[in-house]
Amino acid sequence: MDARDIQIRNHVYGRFVELGRAPTFSELRNELGDDVGAALHRLHDAHAVVLEGDRTAIRMANPFSAVPTPYRVEADGRSWYGNCAWDAFGIPAALHVDGHISSACPDCGEPIEIDIRGRNPIRDEHVFHVVVPAAQWWDDIVFT
Amino acid sequence: MNLFRSEEHTARWLEANGYEPGKTITAGKLCDLAHAWWGDRLAPDWRPHTRDENQAILQRLGLTGQFWQLP
Repeated sequence: MDARDIQIRNHVYGRFVELGRAPTFSELRNELGDDVGAALHRLHDAHAVVLEGDRTAIRMANPFSAVPTPYRVEADGRSWYGNCAWDAFGIPAALHVDGHISSACPDCGEPIEIDIRGRNPIRDEHVFHVVVPAAQWWDDIVFT
Repeated sequence: MNLFRSEEHTARWLEANGYEPGKTITAGKLCDLAHAWWGDRLAPDWRPHTRDENQAILQRLGLTGQFWQLP
């Protein structure tokens, strides 16, 4: 990952924030040049972004998800999906703003609504569970 | 990596899906973890965290032991 790769990575993140979705490879090529595809492959291999299986689209720019998930986040007047609960909390953290997370309990389906204010949940009544040990998180990042 | 209404709901979901229990933390601790882990993600001078930097974040929050050991 060289300086150009990091420049492309930072541009991807900036566009993700602006658009509320992942920029496409085509959009990125138009904005940055023809070297974008190879750079995104290197960034994927370095775990700096996550591409879809065919490596032609962005799946994750953690904490942001390019596909709908059970973790919807509103912050700063816009909304995104987090890849998981950790990432959902990570979106207001990355933006340095308050936010609101909408999800549902995987057990019973009851809605879970959490307001984040001043870096803390307003009511600390929910729990977060990690099934996969840290050493295996990147073995299958979509499952993790 | 899911949010649940309570530890009781977590246990029921793990059993129903045949998963071995992992680790549970409060939403408040998750928020602290998210700020430490993702807080610099949009910084113009972002650079990748090293493995040791990430391990130090986990350790600082009391997330220690084999389960939280990064590769």
